[in-house]
Amino acid sequence: MAVTKDQVKHLGWLSRIELSDDELALYAGQIETIIKYLDKLDTVPLQEVKPVVASKKFSDLRDDVAVEFEADPLGTSYRKEGFVKGPRMV
Amino acid sequence: MELFRLDAMQVADGIKKREFSAEEYIQQLLERIDRVEPKVNAFITINRKEAIDKARSIDKKVRDGEPVGPLAGVAVSVKDNICVKGIRTTCASKMLENYVPPYSATVVIRLDDAGAIVIGKANLDEFAMGTTTEFSKHGATRNPWDISRVPGGSSGGSAASVASLECAVSLGSDTGGSVRCPASFCSVIGIKPTYGLVSRYGLVSYANSLEQIGPAGRTVADVTAVMNAIAGSDRNDHTTLDMKPDYSSRVPDRRFRIGIVKEFLSGADPEVAKVVYNAADILTKQGCKCEEVSLGSVEYALASYYTIAMAEASSNLARYDNVRYGFEMSSEGYEWNSYYAKVRSNFGEEVKRRIIVGSYVLSSGYYGKYYLKAQQVRSILKQELKSLFKTYDLLMGPTMPILPFKMGEKIDDPIKMYLVDIDTVVANLAGTPAISIPGGFSGGLPVGLQLMADEFQEQTMLDAASLFESVTHVQRSPDL
Repeated sequence: MAVTKDQVKHLGWLSRIELSDDELALYAGQIETIIKYLDKLDTVPLQEVKPVVASKKFSDLRDDVAVEFEADPLGTSYRKEGFVKGPRMV
Repeated sequence: MELFRLDAMQVADGIKKREFSAEEYIQQLLERIDRVEPKVNAFITINRKEAIDKARSIDKKVRDGEPVGPLAGVAVSVKDNICVKGIRTTCASKMLENYVPPYSATVVIRLDDAGAIVIGKANLDEFAMGTTTEFSKHGATRNPWDISRVPGGSSGGSAASVASLECAVSLGSDTGGSVRCPASFCSVIGIKPTYGLVSRYGLVSYANSLEQIGPAGRTVADVTAVMNAIAGSDRNDHTTLDMKPDYSSRVPDRRFRIGIVKEFLSGADPEVAKVVYNAADILTKQGCKCEEVSLGSVEYALASYYTIAMAEASSNLARYDNVRYGFEMSSEGYEWNSYYAKVRSNFGEEVKRRIIVGSYVLSSGYYGKYYLKAQQVRSILKQELKSLFKTYDLLMGPTMPILPFKMGEKIDDPIKMYLVDIDTVVANLAGTPAISIPGGFSGGLPVGLQLMADEFQEQTMLDAASLFESVTHVQRSPDL
């Protein structure tokens, strides 16, 4: 199936990545080739096979306790009066 | 005495016996780094002051007769997607160029407790996505055996720093071969441990169901010592199992039943295949039984791997919004979505490509076609391996199907680049351990030999590596 520039633009929007016209042109061709390769999965007769699930006994979950760090765990410079300042929502 | 040439075990031994000081050793390594880095570019950050401070504290402990740990004074480079408290962790990305973690990864704490010294943060493909270490904001790392060629990736800085004698051992992360591939291309040893053996707390996530942290080193004894320090359960990583192994690097008495995977060799460069068959002859002469076996589902492994890895990447990397961990870019004049999309355009080319393909395969209507099928292939692969490991102790093949190639040769063709991961992704999909050991050379370029074992059979893998190492003398570091 052909992958168009419009589809890549939409995927870019879903992923919240702004793409330039050059990138749209480049990625459309490349992503089409990659998807064609992944279509190989369609040729495996898999109806009877269950997807993989973990069978190991993993360690117990730790208690959900807040840990105090000496330094800023968010690594952000956008601080204002004790709050992190993000862009406006609308 | 050229201390920078010493292997990890020789360093720890020499420091404990006071034949030289940790500070002398670290000073020599820093001089070595200054000499070779312009050629190799293995490091993003060099921890000069911290390394010397730690060396002095180890020397003091030795003088005072205090215990110093099995890796006392040993210089380790740490891939720059593994957190070291107070030291920049960039993932070779603009998106994390200013990130200084307030904590260390469990593996780093454990190495520190064992006496090791973090000498620097090693270069990688951005967010560990790549096979050549060319996709780094910090510039590409070069193969120390031929600086016109790639060192492999994504832990290219880790393997290149070990081969270039800029450190004794290194920590990398292996999601689809990222420790073993550069180990192969740089003629060092690299391990991808069983899923759940080594904590990933403090590793920047890329594809959680596949990745493991693993060591690179120049001898089996060195990587064994690192495994002994880092392996075992960790309450901060729920996927680790409740165990604390103690591996040996002694040459074993036992001999092994080894299956040579024909699918790994059928598409390989004949020069690479020659080295693998030669290695099989060597092991046979030592009493091992080597015979050809088939792993049929390898044909679908790469499509399965890239579907899962890209899907998990698109989810994991959604967190980078530049409000947390960001770089300087004012949000004035933007609303949330446009700001988010603008800053994320600063991901590199390969990362953007993987996020977009990941979004594609997870899109409504495509989930069953790609992601679910990829997980089913994973099941088949695990079953096939289980069945082979009933008959064979180990499976063998080349780590990489080709020799280290020229810089830029595959960078514009993603599929060509992905295809070279064919032999390494199997262990990640199945969660089983694998090791790359130097197998020999072809035209002056290294060829790695991959040994795969069943889950938690790392000792079998290390035993066979020790046996091979004891009867071969494959050069580990070039003249630079």
